[in-house]
Amino acid sequence: MVANARHTSRRPKRKKRIYHRRKVCRFCADTSLIINYKDPKALKYFITERGKIIPRRISGCCAKHQRTLTHAIKRSRTIALLPYVGSIDLH
Amino acid sequence: MRRYETIIIADPDLSAEQRDPLLQRVSDVVKQGDGYLALTDEWGARKLAYEIKKKNRGYYIRFDFCGTGAVVNEMERFFRIDDRVLKYMTVLLDKAADIEKIKEEIALAQSNAAKAKEQAEAAAAPTPSEEPAVAQAEAAEIPTPSEEPAEAQTEAAEIPTPSEEPAEAQTEAAEIPPPQEPAETEEGQAPEPEAGQSEAAPTETEEEKK
Repeated sequence: MVANARHTSRRPKRKKRIYHRRKVCRFCADTSLIINYKDPKALKYFITERGKIIPRRISGCCAKHQRTLTHAIKRSRTIALLPYVGSIDLH
Repeated sequence: MRRYETIIIADPDLSAEQRDPLLQRVSDVVKQGDGYLALTDEWGARKLAYEIKKKNRGYYIRFDFCGTGAVVNEMERFFRIDDRVLKYMTVLLDKAADIEKIKEEIALAQSNAAKAKEQAEAAAAPTPSEEPAVAQAEAAEIPTPSEEPAEAQTEAAEIPTPSEEPAEAQTEAAEIPPPQEPAETEEGQAPEPEAGQSEAAPTETEEEKK
């Protein structure tokens, strides 16, 4: 019961409005951009410095393009254009 | 008939003559399987993102071909056995490819490439003359905020006496900035996207937490 009381007292704090700026998918905005696994320079912007794929909530891509992007990055890794782990300097 | 694309990473230490039998073998395999080798694209030696067989560099070759699964199987079997190939990857491009159409496409691409080359050659003449001019103009603008070199310049311009000091100041002001300038801009541009990304990530997560 005590725990419940605490929980309810905390609730108003949590109800703070989340500021949410909906980003537009850059591949939808500009259809001339084509996701290609042979172009590591373009894909580089969608991986972190450690080589992880940046999630959709941060990259702002739509589901469809994030899926193709993920696919492209994974192919790119297979053929050593992008790292599985660690950074790479593309000039 | 399906259209495939195979990228192989060949040993970078191979000479061009040693690579030729490899390419020959691939085209033979495609021909034997009643396929059609549309394109052999050599990217050249590139740095690998990770080490493969203790090698940091690799020679990339891309094959674009039509064929059946048997061709791909035979090709990949060969790549697995061959020491000259560090790694390979086959991607399906089109499930129902039409050879005639692909031939047309290639012919079109080649003619376009030839046209682009001609245009580039035609455009090559004026562009280099423009770039140094811009660099010089920028170089001339930079020293002006500091008053001393500007004065030296005006003095040198007004009095063309063989006094060495203003002349030196002028030449220094004119010559030294251009090499520095591009270097600065390049360094400035490169880290920006990375910094932007790394900054964006934490702020986003904070928003999520709130």
